[in-house]
Amino acid sequence: MSTELPQHQVETSQQRHIRHQGMEASGVLDTVEKGFGGNPEAMQYFYDLFRDVYCEGIKPHPDKEMIGTMCVQIPDEIIHAAGGIPVRLCNGFYTDEEVGGDFMPAKSCSLVKASLGMLKSETNPYSDGIKSIINPTTCDQKKKAAGMMREMGYQVYDMELPPVKESEEGREYWRRSVRKFTHEVGKLTGKKVTRKNLKATIKQVGQAQLTYHRLNELRKNTPIPILGKDIFMVTNAYFFDDLTRWTAATEKLCTEIEARVAEGYNAAGRRSPRIVFTGSPPVFPNLKIPLMIEQADGVIVADETCSSNRLLNDMVSVDEWFMYDMVDAIADRYLKSCTCPIFTMNDDRIRRLIELVRTFKADGVIYQAFSGCSVYEMEQRSVAKAMEKEGIPMLYIETDYSPSGTGQLSTRIEAFMESLKVRGRQK
Amino acid sequence: MKIKAAIDHMDLRRFRFWFQLSAFLLLVYGGRLAINLGTSLPTFSCGYNKSGTAGVCYLLPLQHQLAQPWERLFSPAGVMVLSGLGIFLLWFVALNKAWCGFICPLGTIQDWITALRKKMGIRYSTYTDEQFKKLSLIKYVFLLILIFVPLAIGGQFLSHDWGTPFCQLCPARMIIPLFNGDFSQWVIDFSSTGRMVLTALGMFITGLFLIGSFLKKRFFCFFCPMGAFHYIFSKLSIFKLKKEGDKCTVCGDCYRVCDMQIKPIADDVVSKDILMDDCILCLKCVASCPEQGALRVDILGKTVFESTKGGFVKRMGLEAKK
Repeated sequence: MSTELPQHQVETSQQRHIRHQGMEASGVLDTVEKGFGGNPEAMQYFYDLFRDVYCEGIKPHPDKEMIGTMCVQIPDEIIHAAGGIPVRLCNGFYTDEEVGGDFMPAKSCSLVKASLGMLKSETNPYSDGIKSIINPTTCDQKKKAAGMMREMGYQVYDMELPPVKESEEGREYWRRSVRKFTHEVGKLTGKKVTRKNLKATIKQVGQAQLTYHRLNELRKNTPIPILGKDIFMVTNAYFFDDLTRWTAATEKLCTEIEARVAEGYNAAGRRSPRIVFTGSPPVFPNLKIPLMIEQADGVIVADETCSSNRLLNDMVSVDEWFMYDMVDAIADRYLKSCTCPIFTMNDDRIRRLIELVRTFKADGVIYQAFSGCSVYEMEQRSVAKAMEKEGIPMLYIETDYSPSGTGQLSTRIEAFMESLKVRGRQK
Repeated sequence: MKIKAAIDHMDLRRFRFWFQLSAFLLLVYGGRLAINLGTSLPTFSCGYNKSGTAGVCYLLPLQHQLAQPWERLFSPAGVMVLSGLGIFLLWFVALNKAWCGFICPLGTIQDWITALRKKMGIRYSTYTDEQFKKLSLIKYVFLLILIFVPLAIGGQFLSHDWGTPFCQLCPARMIIPLFNGDFSQWVIDFSSTGRMVLTALGMFITGLFLIGSFLKKRFFCFFCPMGAFHYIFSKLSIFKLKKEGDKCTVCGDCYRVCDMQIKPIADDVVSKDILMDDCILCLKCVASCPEQGALRVDILGKTVFESTKGGFVKRMGLEAKK
């Protein structure tokens, strides 16, 4: 029997990756948690959740079948009904983006790169538990990422999404995709989607959405009772958290914020410009731009992004509670109201933005596009034109996950805030 | 305010069921209680249901009146056509196409057939876009028939055997009297070519009606000339279906629940007055809309029922269990 010699520990690349990831996450968490005064008490649940999952490596769903989803169009209701836990893999880590950079051309979307990097290095607490990934055919980069994920050994299900959503053909095409998915998802989870289950999960997801609406409604108040960075934490948690726990925690937050509204609490500054955030989605820990906005005395009162409002806004409406109607109803909800820029037309998105500015009494719009996210870059022109026509000031920011170059960005954001304040005074 | 919230949150399905049932009983059996609402009703309260009807569908007297000899029709005596139309309009203006969605006995029967299909868990059928566009014109063909065939009779181009052509084709003539045990309409009239053709076609259409409305929600309304006739005057009505395009997210919920497959209800974000020719004003769209105030019903410019999140939640059974 050989005696074990004391070995010198060398950090593996994976360990180093995890350590970097933890540092990145906790850095952002520290800012979110401690960089601003007056956190709602109920936010602690979310801060702790992120710390557990991203810093402590605690698995959010031990011994449950997690199904990775790549975009906002994948119906959660159906995955839940098949006994799976949908986990959105859209990732916000710079650490992962660096790894993912090997797969994609230099000028491509940070989010796609980071998602690939996470899957490659199996470093997120949920990524190593995921075998199946549902990838809708949205933007080109996500589409091509499917092949790379397959190469890494994941089972990838391509869910076909039409590029036109206005036409009847597009609607029928998507309905077929969703019907097929309803059928096939059972094979991934080992449990068939039944009428009873689907009805229950439609209601469960509906209740979660409703709670989000309740929270979001409160942001229409002046003074603003909650900061946008906290809302992004809440909606980002929806990516992977347990549905029931998430709903309960959000409800608690609503109750607290409602009390704040009653007493006229102001979470922002006295003259903080109210901002609608749109464009490429802020995903934890890439809350760079939202944090900069609120550090520059702005406050995000509403958003039009697929990591927040678009994720939870529109609800399924069923006429006849049978599979045939429920599945089609789900399909319609995920297609028709989706304002993703991958579709040919973006009228709906512009209308939504204008309506958000109006109902949330916003002073301006900040449009984030990840450099290389060509669809958002391309829509910038038409959105800017529409905003100009409506007399809504807009700041367009092209950015990525890299921590460098923040000085210039924050200067631009601060200048924008100042201009909004001046504008407010002149009104 | 409390009343308004109660209306906005109401269970439209149940409300409609009871309203339709009451209207059905009134129109189909009211005659037995000597109720008489005249002969200008803007709904299929069938005049062939002699023993029970509480009023007569305007299309029957209209076809009779138009079949008068031309010298009488185009003389001062022809004013009676206008007076009938005037009374029809008074009835119609009050409720617009809600006559179809809430009162029409033939519509109610179709809803009952739909309920039966639903009980059996059988999927409803739908038309494709192209089918919709083509089939949607049939009601105007019926409308032309019911106006020009009687006129041709009055002008002596056709014999009286072709009289009241639409009634002979209409499934209500055969079906509604059944509720009073009257089977007398279930015959093919061989007395003349005209009668034979019309009653045979009528028999065929009734068969189609029964099968069709089992497979497709409000199958016949799609072809109904009364609906087309309504549409000509619908702008005059005090009862309006309105849409605020800005509040619409085009989620398509309203379109999907629409018995009549009216697509613009979801896709049109420009029109304020969103009533379409196929609409039966059943208000399911308003009830299914989750956006506050995106769809609404105005009577005399006053909002009486509108889409609300609260109402949506209630109707979808999403209320949190306390």
